[in-house]
Amino acid sequence: MGYAEYLGAREFLEMVGRPIITYILIISLFQGIFSILCLLRKDNRYFDYLIKCLYISTGLYFIGFLTLAWLHIQIYNTVLIEYPAALRQMIPVENSRIAAPLWIESEKLYFWAMCACAFSLTVKKRKDIMALIGIILSIFSLTVYFFSNPFKDPLPIVNSEITRWYAALSSGDMGIFQLAGTLYGRVTYYYNSTYMWTHPPMLFLAYASLIITFAACVYMLFKKDKLYEEIAYSYAKIGYILLTTGMLMGYPWAVEAWKDSAWWWDPKISGSIMMWVLYSAYLHSRIYISKGKMWRTTAYLGILCFASLVFTYLLTYIVPGIHSVVQP
Amino acid sequence: MKFKNYDYYLIILTTLILFMIGAVSLYGITYYNYLAVDSGWTKTAQYSQYIDGMDSYLYPFLVLLLISLGLCIPKRLFEQDVLLKFSAIILGITVILTIFSTIETGLGFILILMTVVQSVVLIMTIRKSKSIRFEKEGFIARMGSSLLHLGLVVIMLNFVGLRDSPYHLLIFWFGVIFITLGNVLSFYPEKIASLIFISE
Repeated sequence: MGYAEYLGAREFLEMVGRPIITYILIISLFQGIFSILCLLRKDNRYFDYLIKCLYISTGLYFIGFLTLAWLHIQIYNTVLIEYPAALRQMIPVENSRIAAPLWIESEKLYFWAMCACAFSLTVKKRKDIMALIGIILSIFSLTVYFFSNPFKDPLPIVNSEITRWYAALSSGDMGIFQLAGTLYGRVTYYYNSTYMWTHPPMLFLAYASLIITFAACVYMLFKKDKLYEEIAYSYAKIGYILLTTGMLMGYPWAVEAWKDSAWWWDPKISGSIMMWVLYSAYLHSRIYISKGKMWRTTAYLGILCFASLVFTYLLTYIVPGIHSVVQP
Repeated sequence: MKFKNYDYYLIILTTLILFMIGAVSLYGITYYNYLAVDSGWTKTAQYSQYIDGMDSYLYPFLVLLLISLGLCIPKRLFEQDVLLKFSAIILGITVILTIFSTIETGLGFILILMTVVQSVVLIMTIRKSKSIRFEKEGFIARMGSSLLHLGLVVIMLNFVGLRDSPYHLLIFWFGVIFITLGNVLSFYPEKIASLIFISE
């Protein structure tokens, strides 16, 4: 077991994953078309097609997720990082295996899209909301395919770390000491961290639930029907519990992993605080939904909350910071 | 002002304060982006100034939020006129402490007071005391509300005053448990009640 087996698994995933993601794209495009037709023509036929497309795309997302999980298991089984004896005083373990979570790098958006599809199936009887959600999910799938495809060059950062490690090992390069130290930090505080396995997925599940809150708020604004508020609230409750607990779980992780690094008031943290207080404001405002024009304020807040959610997600890619992939 | 109207305006006030904290965070993102011209900037004095600046913008809204929560929490213990006097005294002491010491001291005072008050509310809720009033009906929902508010003040107190304490993370986890449990109990009282076979 070793590097060659790992590379084989990676190639196999690319081969298997490419058709899966392509089918997801095609089905999602149809899903988007049927959603628009549902909105324009109010025909039950289009709605039935939309639901069928949604079932198929959700199923495909799950199959793709299983293949991704398989690659992660292969990485764990094949890649063994044995630290040089000279580093044993600094590193408390002799070797490490990478237990990479399934929501890192280009897999993040895929995981969110998959959860969103699964959540949306729980409101499949609401034709109006489903039409809007169908469009949102189509945009999601398009974005996954073109900008965050987990099957095209799978896990590029993990791959470059593994490749550099084996290259240094085979060449006897002295840089291996520094590399081993860096890898130990990455494996211990990032990939294998309990927080990495709990903090992000809770947030992505929250985001998936809050998409439905957003769609229901849009309808509340246009249809002025209290029923939409009830739907929005029922999903906001799930989302808020996961969002709050998920966000809080990031704190001890930051204390442990980043220690003295500059992370407080990092843009992603500021964005998360903004998003959380806006959702708290939304939940407060809805208490008096029947009073005056509060329903309108609540609906606008629900929409604003979702805009802040998307903005917070994108911050990783547009503003520098400790959470970000872009640096000044 | 009638009690119902009072509660309505309190909710509006809380919503506005939360919204303002959101605006402070948005300003932070924009300013961070403006300052981060090279990767080493977080090691400069400018970064410390940025952190201090952001904290100083946040703290007044945190005080206001606590006052609004304060008006919300002891309303379960006091009559409305007593409550307003109680809140005015708290705000007065906080302002005096801020003027003569620092805003952290003022914030610390109000947080300690709120932790005590909310702990009393929780104990009285558990004991099903008749002298405590709630907007929400049912034991589970009341427990949820009490736990949620206690969790929030504990977390805030922990961040503001106990960051260097050896018990910082332990207290944090207690706060997380209170908030999570409080959220679940507040949002799903009937379901929880049916799970534990009590009538809500």
